[in-house]
Amino acid sequence: MHKLLVVDDEHDICDFVKNFFKDRGFQVFIALNGEEALSLVKKERPEIVLLDIKMKGMDGVAALKHIKEIDKSIKIIMVTALEDQDKMNEAYKLGACDYITKPLVLDYLEQAVLKNLKG
Amino acid sequence: MSAHKKIPSWGKLQDWFVEKLMDNQGGVSPIGGNPNLFNAPLPKEGLQKQDYQSFLEAASRTMIRFKKPEHLIKMIVKTIDEQLKVMHTAVLLYKEEKKNYILIDSKGATGMKIPVGFVRLTVDNPLIRVFSEKNSFFISETGILNYDDIICGLRNRNILELQPDLYDNLLAVKKQMDLLKAALCVPCYFKRDLLGILVLGEKTAGESFSREEMGFFVTLANDAAMAIANAQLIENLQQRVEEIKELYINEHRIFIHTAIALAAAIDARDTYTHGHTERVTNYCVSIAKELDGVPEVSQYKDYRETLQIASLLHDVGKIGIPDYILNKNGRLTPEEFEEIKKHSIIGATILQPIKELSDVAKEVRSHQECYDGSGYPDGLAGNDIPFVARIIAVADAFDAMTTNRPYRKKKTVEEAIQELKAKSGTQFDPIIVSAFLLAYEKGNILNNHGSKDNHNL
Repeated sequence: MHKLLVVDDEHDICDFVKNFFKDRGFQVFIALNGEEALSLVKKERPEIVLLDIKMKGMDGVAALKHIKEIDKSIKIIMVTALEDQDKMNEAYKLGACDYITKPLVLDYLEQAVLKNLKG
Repeated sequence: MSAHKKIPSWGKLQDWFVEKLMDNQGGVSPIGGNPNLFNAPLPKEGLQKQDYQSFLEAASRTMIRFKKPEHLIKMIVKTIDEQLKVMHTAVLLYKEEKKNYILIDSKGATGMKIPVGFVRLTVDNPLIRVFSEKNSFFISETGILNYDDIICGLRNRNILELQPDLYDNLLAVKKQMDLLKAALCVPCYFKRDLLGILVLGEKTAGESFSREEMGFFVTLANDAAMAIANAQLIENLQQRVEEIKELYINEHRIFIHTAIALAAAIDARDTYTHGHTERVTNYCVSIAKELDGVPEVSQYKDYRETLQIASLLHDVGKIGIPDYILNKNGRLTPEEFEEIKKHSIIGATILQPIKELSDVAKEVRSHQECYDGSGYPDGLAGNDIPFVARIIAVADAFDAMTTNRPYRKKKTVEEAIQELKAKSGTQFDPIIVSAFLLAYEKGNILNNHGSKDNHNL
């Protein structure tokens, strides 16, 4: 069973994405901020992380950096609004493997996760 | 299935709906129709089917008057969520700027509710295409796309074997409904455009939706479509109004500048009254500030504007007075004076054909009238003289007295003021003279006029 971590400061989004991937056979963990995400990464070692860029406190890019320090092999897909383009470039430099823009097409969400798990 | 058993709960739902509709928060627009529609008595208990039908009709008539479609959509989503025991509900609306259908409101159980703003459907999404192409194979006669129907289609061996394209399409639509966890999709059309989709999850008890419920969803979706279309029309209209306003402001500026240029041209011809128009206009504006609230002002559509333009153009008729009279170095003969007196009529005649200036023309014609009826051209007296013309008369006389004329030396400001006071009630309207004196005491007559050197200070 693939392990997926969803990081978003919106509870509704975490719950929805968790449910969405649970239905697709994943084991899903959720974190509402960067700190929670880091401790879950250490404990659960997910294969793939869906990481929101815009969060209060530690933002997605900072969280990305720390996750990569813990385990370089973890695949990280950034979730972003269009206006975060600069942040996105920074995230790529730090080792993010893909990104999805909000509002998102649900097929892409599924495809992006599956594609990056294979690749 | 018994429709009768359901009636009490429908009645409750309708009462709840009325309450919400009448709630001030709902934002019912007062424009058009009868806003008190719901004051019409509803049967208290046991609504019959036809009552239910007429209720819906009444509700829809009120709902399309919601000013903000978001209010109505939120209410629809809330109603369904609270009253109809579905796993989740969502509304997707087409957003022109994003060229996509965006999820704008949703409710439901944890994990079932699709977060607002999180999901979009592209226009070529198979689910959207079912509706935008009005694919009748998929849609029931109510217009609703039902997950159960798709499953039936997929189980039909004939389709699998004989219509592989249709089968693939059914699969694609099923997948989209799975992604959204949708049991029903109800389209919101305006004319032929698909404005949005109402998405309903399964009922929590797992049973199918009743015909009444589906009919209710269709009505809600239609109402939402009407509200959205209305709001869009109003928005377009407002945009158009703004454009026209801007156009008007531009045109108006050009117009004022034309009037100023015309006034300057007249001033330039008259060597003795250099800067006269500008000063008179400034005096008029200063006097007018002291006259706010007098009843005469309310007779004007735009009093300040009429005053400004009329004072700028009050001597426009001098264009028709020969140079040798206008610039004569010495006292005018009675015949020449008669000639000069024509300038107010000439001015009015010039302006009269311009529809927007017909009010201004009247003021220009009467600016040489005296309060006691001894002025020209019509010998009007008192309140028969247009109000703005009475203001111009005072400002005009003050400037004439305080500047040199070919036949006499200028008076000092104090002497001129004494004369205004002396002729208050005979040549001048006393109200205007007092307003002038107030403005003078405040320093608004001689200051900020830029032409002070024409006066004895």
